[in-house]
Amino acid sequence: MKAPARPPFRARLRAWLRPPRTLSVTKVGRTYLVVTFGVGLGALNTGNNLLYLLLGLLLSMVVVSGVLSERCLRDLTVRRVGADAAFAREPFAYRWAVSRKAGHGFALTLGEDLSPLAGTGSLGHLPPGTELVVRADLAAPHRGPVRLSGVRVTTTWPLGLFAKTRVFSLEGTLLVYPRRGYACREPGAAESGPMGETGSPRHQDGTGDVAGLRELAPGEDARRIHWRKSAAAGRLLKVEREREERRTWKLALDAGLTGDALERRCEELAAQAHQLLDAGHEVGLKLPEHTLRPAAGAGQARRILQALAWVGFEDAAPGAKDGTAREAA
Amino acid sequence: MKRPLRLRLVLRDLAAGAAFGAMAVSGQLPVWALAVFLLTLVLALCDVRLVARHARLSALLLLVAAVLLGLQLTSGAMNAVVAACSFAGLIAAQRMMSTPDSAADGQTHLTGLLMVAGGAALSGDMTYALCLIAFGVLASLSLALGVVEAAVPDGEPVPVRAVLRPLSGGVAFAVAGAVAFFVLFPRLNWAMVGPRSAPGLGAASSAGFSNTVRLGGAGTIKSNPRVVLRATLTPDPERDALDAYWVGRTYDTFDGQEWTNVAGAQRTERQITLRPATDTLLHQRVELLPAYGGRTLIALETPSRLGNAVAHTPTGTRSSTVQLYGGGEVRFTLTAPSYTYEAYSLPPEGKTGTSLSLLQAEQDQLLALPEHLDPRVAQLAARVLAGEKEPLAAARKLIAYLQRDYAYTLELAGNSEDPLADFLFVRKAGHCEHFATALTVLLRTQGFSARLATGFFGGARLDGGYIVRAGDAHAWTHVLVPGRGFVTVDATPPSHRTSQASALLERVLALYEAVEARWRNSVVDYSFRDQFELASTLVRPPRRPAQASTSATSRLPPTRAWLTAAAVAFVVWRVGRFLARRPGRAPRMEATRFLDRVDAQLARARVPRFEDESLEDLTTRFAREGHPLALALVPLTRRYLEARFGGRALREGEAEHLLNTLRRALEAEAARRAPKAAEQAGPTARAS
Repeated sequence: MKAPARPPFRARLRAWLRPPRTLSVTKVGRTYLVVTFGVGLGALNTGNNLLYLLLGLLLSMVVVSGVLSERCLRDLTVRRVGADAAFAREPFAYRWAVSRKAGHGFALTLGEDLSPLAGTGSLGHLPPGTELVVRADLAAPHRGPVRLSGVRVTTTWPLGLFAKTRVFSLEGTLLVYPRRGYACREPGAAESGPMGETGSPRHQDGTGDVAGLRELAPGEDARRIHWRKSAAAGRLLKVEREREERRTWKLALDAGLTGDALERRCEELAAQAHQLLDAGHEVGLKLPEHTLRPAAGAGQARRILQALAWVGFEDAAPGAKDGTAREAA
Repeated sequence: MKRPLRLRLVLRDLAAGAAFGAMAVSGQLPVWALAVFLLTLVLALCDVRLVARHARLSALLLLVAAVLLGLQLTSGAMNAVVAACSFAGLIAAQRMMSTPDSAADGQTHLTGLLMVAGGAALSGDMTYALCLIAFGVLASLSLALGVVEAAVPDGEPVPVRAVLRPLSGGVAFAVAGAVAFFVLFPRLNWAMVGPRSAPGLGAASSAGFSNTVRLGGAGTIKSNPRVVLRATLTPDPERDALDAYWVGRTYDTFDGQEWTNVAGAQRTERQITLRPATDTLLHQRVELLPAYGGRTLIALETPSRLGNAVAHTPTGTRSSTVQLYGGGEVRFTLTAPSYTYEAYSLPPEGKTGTSLSLLQAEQDQLLALPEHLDPRVAQLAARVLAGEKEPLAAARKLIAYLQRDYAYTLELAGNSEDPLADFLFVRKAGHCEHFATALTVLLRTQGFSARLATGFFGGARLDGGYIVRAGDAHAWTHVLVPGRGFVTVDATPPSHRTSQASALLERVLALYEAVEARWRNSVVDYSFRDQFELASTLVRPPRRPAQASTSATSRLPPTRAWLTAAAVAFVVWRVGRFLARRPGRAPRMEATRFLDRVDAQLARARVPRFEDESLEDLTTRFAREGHPLALALVPLTRRYLEARFGGRALREGEAEHLLNTLRRALEAEAARRAPKAAEQAGPTARAS
């Protein structure tokens, strides 16, 4: 409960003089430096004062380049907006919000530092006092939680000779869902028998508005006969609704799978769940450590994907260290 | 592929044009290279990329051009630097005409940089600096727009205006940095000499000396204002108009059409002595500029010694020997666009008694007349002189006659078989060569030895020295006076001896010459010695003149110190005003200062705070806990947030009022806590 200690003057001076930046030379910059070196040699060798003048201009441009790029990276504020959904080995939209209090920013390239996420987002111009959202198409190589340590902001402003990078320390985690693909195997038989508060799965009724009428096939549920229309038509007619035959599947991930086999199974389960949920069915998931109750809709799809993404990374899950259980759904 | 920004391409092409201009101002590039590049530049500016679909063909043509340039180089027809610069220009042209992608952009800028470096090797003109700055500015703008354009998503506009403002400041700093580097970077060699003036674009040698002077034709050279000669005289006459004769050579043989010399080349030395020296010679340090275009040394009448010549060739500066020819002409043995040398001349008042040692053949020619001289010439001379026997008096009589009865003109159309008779008896008008020839021949018909002299007449003051223009080219007569040697006499009317160019044009060129002279002194010829002198001046100001030391010394700082202090104060005041006027900046700073003072008060009062707990968080916590300080902190925090982020600045005295309220609340809180602390401390003391 004491006031934060201010760093000593020498430390602040050192931080001001040597800000944490990394500098790399671009391809154009390499050529530029070689030519500058050549002009310098020529000036020293011949004593041609015009070459000295040219050398001075070239070196000054290097200094100006450093100053302008530093000004471009100062007073910058970056926060993560994040992604709606990130699937492995598939580009996904990721966003950062960037702003500056004063001064313009140019040619900013943003990326995640020290992470396996590939791809960057770029911003041509950042006016002062405005927060702009930078979108990037990133790609993650594999499923699971990706620990994010900071956002890397790079600029080649003003001349494209050097790329100066500043890393903004921002802790975070991105959960990468299993890769979306095709399920080679059928999900198996639907559940039968009463489940919880739902009735018999044999009495599955459609949901939504009435879509039409058709003749009742043998073995179909007689409770769905439209009696008035059947009486008028003289044959048994069945009501068809928007979503028909909603059934319940319980997908299961076998215990003991590791490595590629685990990855393939997770991808297959994700594909099956996606397919079934898309058809309006209820899907549950049984994992070695916990179980998701069957449910339908986009929310369930997200829960299944999250659960599959965490498989094998349970130690890194929030609450894993203090022993609190992660909510299953 | 994203369509490139048109403005960026125009800037890129113009930058390449400026870089090519840095080479072209030297006038040494072949005409075909100039034509190819200019055509390419025009097409590129019109966004016509001819070789976009014929990249291989254009590369093949470049290869052919390289082979041709190589052949010219090996055959000695072309300088290596010129060949390299020409090829760089061709590569730049090819890149400008190809599909504008990032590779083509980079290569265009790279060749531009190489062309600028090549221009530094070719030219020492001031126009090079203009081209260099133009290239730096245009290429920087193009590169910066390219960098931003690459980061802007497809379909969005490139913020050109926003880019230009910070970049223009950066480029200005770069130019200032280049100047600072140039001034301060130590020159490691004392003998450094930069490139001298190249011939320049369209600079045909206009005042060159030939082996003959042929009468006839219009005197177009008299209207040429180009500077051909610069000279520094010691002792300095300190006159604005020197009005002196600068002699190049003399002629002794006239065949009725043209003047020649009977004697040819003679000895070659580092320094040629024409006449015995005296103690009071007039020293001249002369620089012959590319517009001069000849190899004959020029010196003030009457030259005594010429030499110590340096030829400024395109490949460097070299010492040159000089060779004596007939007629007192001294020539450089090396051919170069420009030269520097020293000359010593007899002072105007000390020319008597000194005569040039002539060969016997030359002495014989001083009275020679053309074979078919019109008999009326001798009759005219006899009539005018009326028996005058003294050479100088005879010359003056003839001069008075010619200037009275003959007109000066530069309009002489057509050729005549006997130009002298045509001048004397038909046209009765001519230019300096006619007047000088007439006077010389008229003197010779009466037995007076005389010869024709050519060179320049004039000398305009410029930057501590004198310049001579091509239009100052002149011809006059030397008459041999027994016991005195050759004496200069001039039959041309005095008002027509100097340049006849337009006054306005001369004024403009004089201004250009003044700037050019500064450029040469300050940049091209800048050396370690200049750096040393500059440092000495900064460390130890120049001493006062001798007469100043006798006056009463003052303990006050010198005037320049006062002026410098005033200038610095003005700059500081302006910067302060500028910073104070920055919108939105002052309220934020005021609010931040206010926050610092609040934090300091809270810290002094030892108000318990969590680590990294902001004022807002502290106030919220106190309000939640019902802390007594919340009453003072809530309005204070609200006003701070409004001032800092809400655009409502603190009114005058409001900060003090809020701080006083907080101080009183802190004191009351401290007083409230004090009895509690005393109560808690009592039993503890007893227990111990």
